[in-house]
Amino acid sequence: MGGILTVFRREVGQYFASPVAYLIAFALLLITGLLFNTDLTYSMRVKPAEAALIPGFLSFALVFFAPLLTMRLLAEEKREGTLELLLTAPVPDSSIVFGKFLGAWFYYSLLLVLTFIYQFILLAIAQPDIGHAISAYLGIWLYGGASLAVGMLFSGLTENQIVAAFLGMTALMFLWLGDLAGQIVANLDLAYVLRQLSLQGHFSTSFAVGLLRAEDAAYFVGIIAVMLFITIRVVESHRWR
Amino acid sequence: MIEVENLTKHFGTHLAVDHVSFTAQPGEIVGLLGPNGAGKTTTMRMLTGFMPPSDGTARVAGFDVLADSLAVRQSVGYLPEHVPVYPDMTVYGYISFWARLRGVRNVRQHVDAALERVQLTDRRKMLVRHLSKGLTQRLGLAQALVHDPPVIILDEPTIGIDPQQVIEVRDTIRQLGENHTVLFSTHILSEAEQVCDRVVIIQQGRVVAQGAPATLRQQLQSGAHLYVEVRGANEAKIREILNPLRDIQAIEPQGNGFSLRVKPGKDLRAAVAERVMAAGVSLLELRPVAMTLEDIFLDIIKRN
Ligand SMILES: Nc1ncnc2c1ncn2[C@@H]1O[C@H](COP(=O)(O)OP(=O)(O)OP(=O)(O)O)[C@@H](O)[C@H]1O
Ligand SMILES: [Mg+2]
Repeated sequence: MGGILTVFRREVGQYFASPVAYLIAFALLLITGLLFNTDLTYSMRVKPAEAALIPGFLSFALVFFAPLLTMRLLAEEKREGTLELLLTAPVPDSSIVFGKFLGAWFYYSLLLVLTFIYQFILLAIAQPDIGHAISAYLGIWLYGGASLAVGMLFSGLTENQIVAAFLGMTALMFLWLGDLAGQIVANLDLAYVLRQLSLQGHFSTSFAVGLLRAEDAAYFVGIIAVMLFITIRVVESHRWR
Repeated sequence: MIEVENLTKHFGTHLAVDHVSFTAQPGEIVGLLGPNGAGKTTTMRMLTGFMPPSDGTARVAGFDVLADSLAVRQSVGYLPEHVPVYPDMTVYGYISFWARLRGVRNVRQHVDAALERVQLTDRRKMLVRHLSKGLTQRLGLAQALVHDPPVIILDEPTIGIDPQQVIEVRDTIRQLGENHTVLFSTHILSEAEQVCDRVVIIQQGRVVAQGAPATLRQQLQSGAHLYVEVRGANEAKIREILNPLRDIQAIEPQGNGFSLRVKPGKDLRAAVAERVMAAGVSLLELRPVAMTLEDIFLDIIKRN
């Protein structure tokens, strides 16, 4: 337990110590700000404000954005040799993986909280659908956790951060495309399976439209659990090489 | 404190550590000495709980490295061969991270003490990336002793730093030996001789000799080499003259004369002198050669 907290604290500290993380935050706020502005001017006349605007955007952006946040996590430890010291510390291997994952998820959550500002602006000038927004944010929070877990796994597979990011993006792209594939395949059963496997399939037609379903939450939690489990095995495998 | 019995590790078919056995008593400084690829790092990695042994047992601070891995890791401070660092952390942050991860209670107090010990106190706010190689090495040492472990394992702690720093690191190791059991590896013989209470020489994964530096030298060296210089005989002739002396293991030309390797424990000076004179050859010089541990080391390695 203490091990998880120590690793977690270091990871969060590292995010704030590195310029990359600030750049990511800057880019995220810039893009979402522009999006919000566009949506807002549009909503003035023809439609109600889009409650899932930012989460909807993130559900695609995470494909690129999550691996950028996680590429460092294990690849750097391997390259610098600190993994050897971590693995000789009196903590179970799982603490290291949990601590790192929670650190990344926490940082992501902070970024998400930053975008709440758009909701406050909406609240100040209109009557937005708060329930819908909360559902979408909850969904994208879980979605983000799952994407980060995927990204971290690939960080554990290589010493090279760029390679880790690239592999993570590729994997997330496939998980994202599953939704589109599910919409164009003629065979209904196959389409259903494809959608059920994809990240989007558990977001775009549920959380994003204000629908809270246990099965979708379970899917994201399941992805996180499976990814963390594999990552722990990967970290453990360094003892055998 | 450290009991190693028939410790073995293979990587695939390659035998990196081959039935190694040795012990280290509490408060002892033991040097693991061997050439590149001898298996020093691999042995240490098994003792620090990083790698499981393929065979054999090892107990550190009374705990078995396989059955009680966490307890072993709690009892060991480890400095790997290449000091592992987090470049973006401060010196203080780096050391306190390891202190916390190893469950230290008074983090600040322990970190201060560790930094003081390696004289890094005035650099506590510096980023690790800005430290010189020598200072990085000391940082690694501080990390290994911050949780005050009974056993400290250092893998080639003096490699790649300047002579002044080497002396300081050796001093620190000696001081550590007062309250800790220290196991450190090196391929520099004089270093082992200066610092260690006991030396374990390993080569190609096997222990080839072990003991206190002084006894080791005595055992292996006593009368082991003779230098003889003659006039009126070439190498072939000398070989012919000395051939009947079964206790001479090798004859090699050295300088103007020859170096004779003699079976340990035998004094052949008289016999050699007699035979040389009896052959009608003038004996110019005959003396035992005091071997340094360096020679012994090379000798052992050659013989194996
Ligand atoms: N992870 C590994 N996989 C395969 N072979 C390995 C591995 N680690 C070490 N070896 C091999 O085991 C042997 C012993 O290596 P080790 O690193 O223990 O030697 P060493 O005494 O520390 O040498 P050096 O002085 O170069 O540090 C070498 O032949 C090495 O190639
Ligand atoms: Mg080595």
